[in-house]
Amino acid sequence: MAGAGGFLACHEGFHVKLSWISERGLVVPHDNPAGLARRVLQVGFPEVEDCAAAEGGVLVHLLPGHAPGAALLKLLQTAGPTVDTAPARLVEIPVRYGGSDGPDLAELAARAGMTEGAAVRLHSAAEYRVLFLGFQPGFAYLAGTPAVLAAPRLTTPRAQVPAGSLAIGGPYSGIYPGVSPGGWRIIGRTERVLFDAGREPAALLAPGDRVRFLPL
Amino acid sequence: MICLVQAAGAFDVVQDLGRPGYAHLGVSQGGAADPGALIQGNRLVGNSLPAAGLEVTLKGPVLAFPEGAIVALTGADMGAARDSGLAAPRYQTLWLHPGEVLRLGAARSGCRAYVAFAGGIATEPVLQSRATFVAGAFGGLGGRPLRAGDRLPLGPPSFPPPNARLPLPAPENVARVIPGPQGAAFDDAALLHFYGGEFRISPLSSRSGLRLDGPRLVAPGGGEGPSQALLPGAVQVPPDGRPIVLGWDGPVTGGYPVIAGVISADLPLLAQLAPGSRISFRAVTLEEARHAWRARLAQWEAQLEWL
Repeated sequence: MAGAGGFLACHEGFHVKLSWISERGLVVPHDNPAGLARRVLQVGFPEVEDCAAAEGGVLVHLLPGHAPGAALLKLLQTAGPTVDTAPARLVEIPVRYGGSDGPDLAELAARAGMTEGAAVRLHSAAEYRVLFLGFQPGFAYLAGTPAVLAAPRLTTPRAQVPAGSLAIGGPYSGIYPGVSPGGWRIIGRTERVLFDAGREPAALLAPGDRVRFLPL
Repeated sequence: MICLVQAAGAFDVVQDLGRPGYAHLGVSQGGAADPGALIQGNRLVGNSLPAAGLEVTLKGPVLAFPEGAIVALTGADMGAARDSGLAAPRYQTLWLHPGEVLRLGAARSGCRAYVAFAGGIATEPVLQSRATFVAGAFGGLGGRPLRAGDRLPLGPPSFPPPNARLPLPAPENVARVIPGPQGAAFDDAALLHFYGGEFRISPLSSRSGLRLDGPRLVAPGGGEGPSQALLPGAVQVPPDGRPIVLGWDGPVTGGYPVIAGVISADLPLLAQLAPGSRISFRAVTLEEARHAWRARLAQWEAQLEWL
């Protein structure tokens, strides 16, 4: 049976364990996925179509039929802190917490043994970092949720979550860009448009951004 | 020139070759599920490659052409007929007279048919593509499947228009794969079932994902893992052990273990597997996969036979 290990020998001398999603998705573990993905896109390697950050690494989208070149493989081995030294952008997002905008806030506050007001102060005092975008266009996975507010996803997802809903799923906070089904716990809502295909850039948040929520 | 939708099919969407390069914003690549069929249709009507056509699934629409049009039908056989009584063979340039009506029926073989129009469908591009992305409600015609009464604007045709045909492709139901990031974490029984077994396409499949009925695979870690970035063709194994092949409009991240990834050359063949069709998987090397892509391109670029 062919194991993934058989394909690693193609890139001898590579220090990290590469794996693949088909022959055009090169999975690279890394400790600064947002920084590495940004650098790969900035350089503009001829064989690279896209580079997406994810949890603990990046996925380099290669053009079909192309193998990763030596220059790309070299950059992919650059250590986390040095790969991207550009200062992170701060994005402030006004949020109405609780009530009909945040139907799960009361339960989350109760689980944490605090009042809703204290939960809002705690959540909005934290600074968040965009790890990666996924699930739907413009949906940013934000690290930095205070541990006491982390919450498991709903067993049965809601059929319809309103656009702009600020929610907590596991250790992440995130905002639903459009109306969609969703299993995260909704604690508030913003009027900011997270994704607009006609805007440049289309997504409000990018991997590596710092985010703060301003309670209204 | 326009194309009037007299009756919609089961799921008719405007597609081109999609919007690669936006996954880092959370946007799926999308585009024609069987790009080869769209490319070949465009060649038969004299379009350059990125032109948008219509992708219709399982049952096709009824289309009227008040000013006539030059079109080509590729992909699935939906028993197309013209009200004029003239033949409407697939993989051949069709010159439709002003006022002609083209009727597509239920798929007799394959799953997705493509209608290419000389000049292409001229809806507004969004993020550099006319591909319809229904979950995001953008691209194509209002980000949604066609409805009766819709008017599809067509671009100016190239001159001189071709009159040609291409050979019909043979159906394929073996997808070659590269073992996935979690491939080695599956136990021997799961790997044996995956590479040695046969699956059927579930009726619950869509452009977001193809669900497979067949042997259940025990997923490592109970089927839950960290979110990882994905590409269409990733074969994910959720806790219930029924594999899901990520589709063209699927999310760009997912948390299920990925046992394997369908190679670029074979992803298009999945587009033609109707619910109930058989599919099996075979592992190949990266070099074989890249070679297979070049062979697939050569197949799509086969010489036109001029009529």
